[in-house]
Amino acid sequence: MNALLAQFLTEADDLLAQVDEGLLRLERAPQDTDLVNGVFRAAHTLKGSSGLFDFPELTRLTHAAEDLLDAVRGGRLDLDAAMTDDLLASFDLIRGWLVHVTSAGRLPATAGTAAGGLIERLRRPLGGSGAPAAASAAAAADAPAPAVAVAAPRWAAALGGQWLEETAGWLEATSATLRLVRYTPDEDCYFRGEDPLHLLRQVPAVDRLVPVPPAAWPSADDYDEYACLLDFVLATRAAPVELAYLFRYVPEQVEIVELGASALTRLLAGEGTDAGQEAGQEAGLEAGQGQGAGRQAGAPQAGQEAGAPQAGQEAGAPQAGTAQAADARAVLEAALHTLSALPEHAAERATRLASAGRAVRAAAHVLGRDDVPRQDDPRAVAEAARRLLEAAQPVPGPPDAATSVSGDSAEAVQVGSRTLKVEQEKVDRLMELVGELNVAKNALTFLAASAEEEFGSRLLARRIKDQYAGMHRIAEELQAAVMDVRMLPLSVAFARFPRLVRDLGRKLGKSVELVTEGEEVMADKDVIEALGDPLVHLVRNSLDHGVEAPAQRVAAGKEAVARIRLSAVSDGDAVVVEVTDDGAGIDPGAIKRKAYEKGLITEARLEAIPDAEAADLVFLPGFSTAETVSDVSGRGVGMDAVRASVERLGGTVGISSAPGAGTTTRLRLPLSMAVTQVMVFSAAGQRFGVPVDTVAEAVRVPAGGFGRVLHQDVIQLRGEVVPVIDLAATLHLPWTPPEDIREVLVTQVGGQKVGLLVERLHREMDVILKPMEGLLAGHGAFSGTALLGDGLVLLVLNIKEVLGVAARAA
Amino acid sequence: MPLELRDRTATVTGVLTVEEVEPLAAWLRATARPGVNLRNCTHLHTGALQALLLFRPTITGRPLDSFLSAHIMPLLENRQSSKEAQKGAAQ
Repeated sequence: MNALLAQFLTEADDLLAQVDEGLLRLERAPQDTDLVNGVFRAAHTLKGSSGLFDFPELTRLTHAAEDLLDAVRGGRLDLDAAMTDDLLASFDLIRGWLVHVTSAGRLPATAGTAAGGLIERLRRPLGGSGAPAAASAAAAADAPAPAVAVAAPRWAAALGGQWLEETAGWLEATSATLRLVRYTPDEDCYFRGEDPLHLLRQVPAVDRLVPVPPAAWPSADDYDEYACLLDFVLATRAAPVELAYLFRYVPEQVEIVELGASALTRLLAGEGTDAGQEAGQEAGLEAGQGQGAGRQAGAPQAGQEAGAPQAGQEAGAPQAGTAQAADARAVLEAALHTLSALPEHAAERATRLASAGRAVRAAAHVLGRDDVPRQDDPRAVAEAARRLLEAAQPVPGPPDAATSVSGDSAEAVQVGSRTLKVEQEKVDRLMELVGELNVAKNALTFLAASAEEEFGSRLLARRIKDQYAGMHRIAEELQAAVMDVRMLPLSVAFARFPRLVRDLGRKLGKSVELVTEGEEVMADKDVIEALGDPLVHLVRNSLDHGVEAPAQRVAAGKEAVARIRLSAVSDGDAVVVEVTDDGAGIDPGAIKRKAYEKGLITEARLEAIPDAEAADLVFLPGFSTAETVSDVSGRGVGMDAVRASVERLGGTVGISSAPGAGTTTRLRLPLSMAVTQVMVFSAAGQRFGVPVDTVAEAVRVPAGGFGRVLHQDVIQLRGEVVPVIDLAATLHLPWTPPEDIREVLVTQVGGQKVGLLVERLHREMDVILKPMEGLLAGHGAFSGTALLGDGLVLLVLNIKEVLGVAARAA
Repeated sequence: MPLELRDRTATVTGVLTVEEVEPLAAWLRATARPGVNLRNCTHLHTGALQALLLFRPTITGRPLDSFLSAHIMPLLENRQSSKEAQKGAAQ
């Protein structure tokens, strides 16, 4: 995949997320213009960038979505739920396409048909069917659609009288038309790697091309060779589609008119120039406005420098960039001109006024001002335009435009590079190396021991230990730093929920408000990633089983809109995530009955379980309370799956519920999974480890203290009977337990204590746990391996599985 | 080297890129009655064209390239027509 495409894909991901989030917020606050602008900008940037690649369907679809958003932005349409659905569906489709692009390098074959329906739906509220032929065929950015003009614009005169005369005659004789193009490159276009002349070279069927020098050249001393001062006027027989395609990156810099013989003749006779001027003026105004919007979108050059202008805007730069200010000035001047010559006819007057008003508003936005004039009063609009014009006067600065521009961009580059996007693999690799450093460092303690024991040099041993202490400190800091890089805010895990809740809510006919708290709490990326599925399941459950239908809620005296709260708080080296709903809660009686009916608990237990603990029964495998299996939840994955995945992360899950008032599910997860604390012990001469958080205590019991109950060794621990498993026997290792004092490691699994009979207990250690690979991967009794300082491999036990093995063996 | 600068004449060969715009402009600025040979020039960057239009050197060799000779040369050679065009644009 080429680097540009890779960059586009990452960028598109962010943009799509922005669009999604914006649309959802917009649905709740449809009047928020900032939100509309934000969504529009993201869609616009996406469209612009997509133009760089051969994804015509993608460009067309984003174009349609952008048009709809533009109408909303301009106040011509009110966004309703159906439109939001269509927009979300469009961007979902695009997301799907991009996944396909990532793997296959192109859009799926079905893209055209899939996009067609959506484009039509998106365009329907705008009152149009399908995209305009030119734009869709060109798969290009919105070049101004050329209509056959009755009068030639003034700039056509640059083509020269003789040529005009000859051409007019020819067009007359053949009743053909020609397309005249005026191309006014931006002054700073060379800095964006554009070469207008090179672009013009590619225009097919050029009849005449005239570079138009500026009306007045600067003096030779002031001349800046990097400011483009030339305009170009050309006449071509190329189709509008071809022109739109060629100029697709600079649509706001070109003006295309289609002309017949009569228009040329009239231009020669000096007639119709008034109309021409007005048409030009109008077009200029529109183009200027488009330009303003393009810059605002931060994607003047197909998103190449999307970051920089946006960053500027986020900083709320009150002083708009010089180029932006120049554009705004042009727009404002054009608007003032339009206002000064308003036609008498009422309807026409209103349209002119409205477009001038829009232009002034756009300019105000670009300049970071919010003087929004009343649209219906020409004087107010003109007044606002004048005010803005004053504000947009060029700031006295360095006379050399080139230095100021390059200075700006250097600063922008700095802003952009303060954060790095690093591939996950690189960070993982770094983490691995830190682990290896730890191992190498730990070897020093063994070296110190052998220096003392084998070589009898106490001094050397002490010096090695000193060195070890220094390295230890650095390694710890390094490890902390790398872990910090891996930390992500919980907002990453929460990001998909607004959408999920909205969609499910609509599907189930429940109105739900999602509240998220503690998005800034950080946790390791592995934790964040693994948290996703359990959370989705819990939120779905809340929506489907917890939250009642609005009518029921009202009958119960609650607000019709339910509330689901996702919150995260950090608690020492763990993070606690809660999913709370204010729904019906769990009825303990119903739960117990259900569990009994499904044969999950015995009758005796049914009686014994207190109501407060009944909610925990939902975690039993095979438990599902939904009467019918809906496609929202209850797809065979129950709460037991949630518990299993949370426990795999080394976390715990609990549920509490008050009937009628709601349910809270609480997940407690370690902040980081990269480093695990293990208790190291040996059994039958081999060393093993268990995660420290499963260890309750370690006791030494005389052989006589062992009893036997139901073929199971037990010990008595402070009046409690604890079953003991001989680990060596379970793992089929040859070992006979000593006849005097025995070491028992008491572990706590699922609320129950179980003792492990081991040979010798060693010490606690921080290790980097690596999952089992290859042939051992399927061996459930081990959760992973870790390398020790002396080069030995430590097998870390998964206690729960070990107990299972023991139970099966018994 | 697409741009060869001598005392009185500059010779452009092949594609004159944006990199050469600045040296060309500086040379044109500093040289009295400069001449530019475009005979083997296949493309001029817009910035170079602009500099030629401003400083108006004598064109000592017409480009063989059809695009340049058809559309660009008339303006470079004929001051009269360029002024006309200027007037047209200014109107």
